[in-house]
This record gives sequence, structure tokens and C-alpha cells, in this order.
Amino acid sequence: MSTSRQLSESRAIPTKTVLINDTTQLPHDYCTTPGGTLFSTTPGGTRIIYDRKFLLDRRNSPIAQTPPAHLPVIPGVTSLNVLTENRKNEANNHVNNHDGKPTTGDDAQFEMDI
Amino acid sequence: CISLDCSLKDDDSGDHDQDQGSPKDGEKEKNEDEEKEQNTSKKKMVVPGAGEHPLQYNYTFWYSRRTPGRPASTQSYEQNIKQIGSFASVEQFWRFYSHMIRPGDLTGHSDFHLFKEGIKPMWEDDANKMGGKWIIRLRKGLASRCWENLILAMLGEQFMVGEEICGAVVSVRFQEDIISIWNKTASDQGTTARIRDTLRRVLNLPPNTIMEYKTHTDSIKYVCLLLFLFSSPAFLSLQLIP
Repeated sequence: MSTSRQLSESRAIPTKTVLINDTTQLPHDYCTTPGGTLFSTTPGGTRIIYDRKFLLDRRNSPIAQTPPAHLPVIPGVTSLNVLTENRKNEANNHVNNHDGKPTTGDDAQFEMDI
Repeated sequence: CISLDCSLKDDDSGDHDQDQGSPKDGEKEKNEDEEKEQNTSKKKMVVPGAGEHPLQYNYTFWYSRRTPGRPASTQSYEQNIKQIGSFASVEQFWRFYSHMIRPGDLTGHSDFHLFKEGIKPMWEDDANKMGGKWIIRLRKGLASRCWENLILAMLGEQFMVGEEICGAVVSVRFQEDIISIWNKTASDQGTTARIRDTLRRVLNLPPNTIMEYKTHTDSIKYVCLLLFLFSSPAFLSLQLIP
């Protein structure tokens, strides 16, 4: 750095080095793009990629509510009623949870006589 | 091939090592017919509907259950794999998933399978015969959440291993549950490592959860060994088989 007159000083960019010994020590969101995947490019070309939040947000769209055509009704396995999880039990955080009024399938908005 | 109830080591998801072959062809053709937003009648393929978000691949849900209690034999082996249906978009996926019981609420010895369309959830399928699977054993109570996170990652192409992913299975068993993800090339260690790392990232597993990779051929060898032993005269003379 020259000693001639300068209006400002320059400094090296402060860095911090963290030594890790194992991939388990990586932060949970290491190298992720917000809303994206771990990788900035898609090996093998353009792929259709959705993150978890995006997929979950589509769950309540109107198209997704009706049972699929020809759904085999297997007692104890499939149901013509919409089955929604009690997300609190699952300890998942979902921004779509509405406080106070749970939208459970028991409300029978789509209840059909089987 | 004599079918076995792997009670000696009932660990496997996708436990179709027994020679059950493919679903009856008649049923299969009928079941593939559902879920057409747009009717491409000749091909019987599902396509995304208008305004829906397409997936990279089409997928098919399957369900199987084994009758508990009875020891298995060729005829009485009760395990049936049924197709539940196929989908091509995010919204179509939810239509199925929202009308299916969560794995944690399934009873008995049951499995859900979610495989790419055209790949049967059994290792005899061409896509699987050189492949293997990561399996994760879970204590009771975790299967529903982990299965959901697993399939959302698979459908959302989070694994980034090209064409390698075949499908995923959740297996409900007596005292534990098992989730697994199947890929095509067991020997491709780069792929299997990347799958493992993605599983760690997306599943939020309890600490000390063990992930195990098994090739399907290893499982086949194990079953063949059991068959050999069980069919030996010395064993049969013990009259353990009813």
C-alpha cells in the first residue's frame, strides 16, 4: 500500500476460517440458494426442481383437493375424504397454518358416502 | 421359487425378494388408466393438467401388505402389490397423497412405494436389478414425517443424480419403520454418496440414525442361501415347515 495521500484506507476483506472434520458439521443451509437446491447448476441439463416449501404450498390449491379419478378405495389405506395432518403433532413449521381454525378433513367439506 | 417369510431377518423394505413377479397384467393395465386430466387415450399416460406444475418424471404409488401371522409358502404368500395411481404434476400428487393414510397410521406389515412410472417396485425390474437402496430404520412415530420429506425431495429433484433414482419405499413393521430410496446403479459410489448426503440434508433425522446401503443382489443372495438351506433334506426332515 503506497504511502502517498489517499482519501480512504483499504483493508483486506475480513475472513474467518472454520475447520470441519466431517460433513455432519456443515451448517444445515450450507451452499443453498434460497428456494433452490444445494447445487447451483443442474448436472445433465435443465431439470424441473421444486423445493419442499414450494411443493407444500401447492397442497391447498383447489385442483389438489378432489380425489383422483379411479382412486382404489382400500380401507385403512385410501380415503375419499381429504386427510390432512395435524401438523402440530409432526412438529413441522408451515406458514399455511391458520391460527385458531384447524382445517381438518373431519370438517367433511368433501365428505362423500362411500 | 419357494417364498419365504423373512422372519429371521425381517428388515427389508421393498421386501419382494420372494418370487412374486409382477402384478397381474390385467389389473395393471386397468389401474394405469386413471388420473387423466387430458385424455391421451391410446398411451394411457398421465400428463399434467392445465395450470398444474409438471414434475420431471411421472410417478406411481403402490401399496402392499402381508397378512400377519401365517408363515409364508408359495401359495399362501399374501403379499400383493397394488397400484394406487400415477401422476404427472405437483397438484396431481397432492390429490393422491391427501387421500392416503399416513404411514404412521398404517396397520400390519404394510408398505407404500413411490416409483417412477414404468419401474416396478421390485428388484426384478430392469431398472433395479443392478441397483441398491439406502435404508433408514426409524423408531415408531417418525415414519410419516420422514416419508413425506423423502418423497417431496424425490419429486422435487433434490437428489441431483441424473436418472439414477428409481423410487422410494416406506415399510411399516412391528416395532420399527423403514424408509428406503432405490437407485439404478449400486456400484456408482458417487451417486450413492450424493443420495446419502441429500438424505441427511432433507430428512432431519434423529442423531445417531444409521443409514445403510444394500445392493439388491446382496439381498437376492441372502434369500437364495435361505432357500438352499430350507430346502435341504436335513432341514425338511425336521418337519418345521407345515
